Amino acid sequence: MSGGANLLYMLSDSLRCARENVMTAVLTAFTIGFSLAIFAIFLFVSINLNGFISTWGDKTHVVVYVKDNVASDPEKFGESLKRVPGVNSFTYISREAALKELRDELKGHESILEGVDTNLLPASFEIKLGSAYRDSDRVRGVADNLKRLPWVDEVQYSREWVEKFASLIRFMELAALVIGVFLAAATVFIVSNTVRLAVYARREEIEIMRLIGASDTYVKVPFFMEGVMQGVVGGLISFAVLAVGRYLMLDNVPQYFRFALDVPFPAPAVFSVLVLSGVLMGVAGSLVTVGRFLKT
Amino acid sequence: MIQMFHVSKSYEGSAPALSDITLNVPKGEFLFITGPSGAGKSTLLKIMFGSEAPTDGQIIIDGRNYVKIPPADLPGLRRRIGFVFQDFKLLPGKSVFENVALALKVMGVGPGDIKARVNRMLSYVKLQHRANFKPLSLSGGEQQRVAIARALVKDPAIILADEPTGNLDPALSNEIMELFKEVNNRGTTVVVATHDRRLIDLFGRRTVMLEGGRIAGQ
Ligand SMILES: Nc1ncnc2c1ncn2[C@@H]1O[C@H](COP(=O)(O)OP(=O)(O)OP(=O)(O)O)[C@@H](O)[C@H]1O
Ligand SMILES: [Mg+2]
Repeated sequence: MSGGANLLYMLSDSLRCARENVMTAVLTAFTIGFSLAIFAIFLFVSINLNGFISTWGDKTHVVVYVKDNVASDPEKFGESLKRVPGVNSFTYISREAALKELRDELKGHESILEGVDTNLLPASFEIKLGSAYRDSDRVRGVADNLKRLPWVDEVQYSREWVEKFASLIRFMELAALVIGVFLAAATVFIVSNTVRLAVYARREEIEIMRLIGASDTYVKVPFFMEGVMQGVVGGLISFAVLAVGRYLMLDNVPQYFRFALDVPFPAPAVFSVLVLSGVLMGVAGSLVTVGRFLKT
Repeated sequence: MIQMFHVSKSYEGSAPALSDITLNVPKGEFLFITGPSGAGKSTLLKIMFGSEAPTDGQIIIDGRNYVKIPPADLPGLRRRIGFVFQDFKLLPGKSVFENVALALKVMGVGPGDIKARVNRMLSYVKLQHRANFKPLSLSGGEQQRVAIARALVKDPAIILADEPTGNLDPALSNEIMELFKEVNNRGTTVVVATHDRRLIDLFGRRTVMLEGGRIAGQ
């Protein structure tokens, strides 16, 4: 008895059988690869958008825009702001300052502002609320009070669009999850079907092996190894698809949207997770089918 | 070694292949099973081997009592039994050497050991020169001898041979039967199903006659 030699046999057997089924094995690997890639794209983009949102969400504050047609009198406006409950402090931002701030925030993306009328931005007050007024109901209350001031054109509290956008992101995350589950199930299904074909093609061989005393494990190992190999190749394919896809997209996506193509994890981690998931899918697909076959 | 009590086997939609077979094959026995085609010889061997389950009755193999052999016990049982299949059951994609070697591989025998034992076995059945051939490029008799070599190579406790000389000329048949006899002399229990009266008369061993699935004579 020599377990090591035995394992070596099984491995060489599985390599041989993998060579015999090259075409189905390659197709399976590609299926795994593309499902993983699609899932990763969804996941990454929603993580990126989410990161973008939470940076902006921190800046929850209320902005009061001054009506265009009233004479600008920051002092007087400030006095009336102080009388609104919840207002803790405020900063006046003139039209000029607003434009400058916008330019600063879009550093590197200034092209967006080309052709924008510099007078478009109204003067405004950025208001910090007392800490007791920061939940969304109270913010709305303060905003309603501010809106009643005669010189106030519009009240924006960033929560409003942050929350709208955040719910979009949550939807995307949910979509990524649902798509991920479906893709994983579809992939396991496809893998198990290609394995079913392979098992069917080799059913006589498997039957004979069992007749001369091969254990179920002995019969399963080649298929297990095939699943592992298909999974590894599938993982590599998905990584390649993502890397090449990102490279091609980078030049064709407007600059201000490029953050969405960021890779939110270090490349080696992405690589290992992709390969590992590929192996999991490949092995699950193989073993499910072979297991079912051996039960009969 | 092998005991059967009131074993019956019916395949769906046909007359019973075996009915009420009670049979004792002691350890070290050399037993012929004979009878006309369709009498149930193959079915009897398959039940002893666990590749068919009896519809009724009990079997004791190697001291273990089975109504139905549990799947987990099958590999172990089959490693102790060398079975020569009537239709050979060789792997067409593997060479003669690999086919014989597989019986040892599945038992976990090391490669050096396998090489020596397989080569020795191939020379016993006079097939050394065919070691690297694929089974389908061999004659029927040669394939049969590969099947015999695969059954014998693992030095099993029991040999079940289903028409092992069906494709061999009389001279070769005699040689193969001598081989079984030799193995039997070393203590292996041998059961040979054959309808070759000549061989039975020549070797003069205990013979069970089957007819229509029943024991018609001993
Ligand atoms: N898988 C099966 N399904 C249905 N009937 C079967 C099956 N195997 C065998 N039989 C039937 O059982 C009976 C006994 O068959 P068996 O193969 O045991 O005969 P045998 O004595 O080995 O014949 P032969 O000398 O031709 O090999 C036959 O009538 C056969 O048709
Ligand atoms: Mg038969």
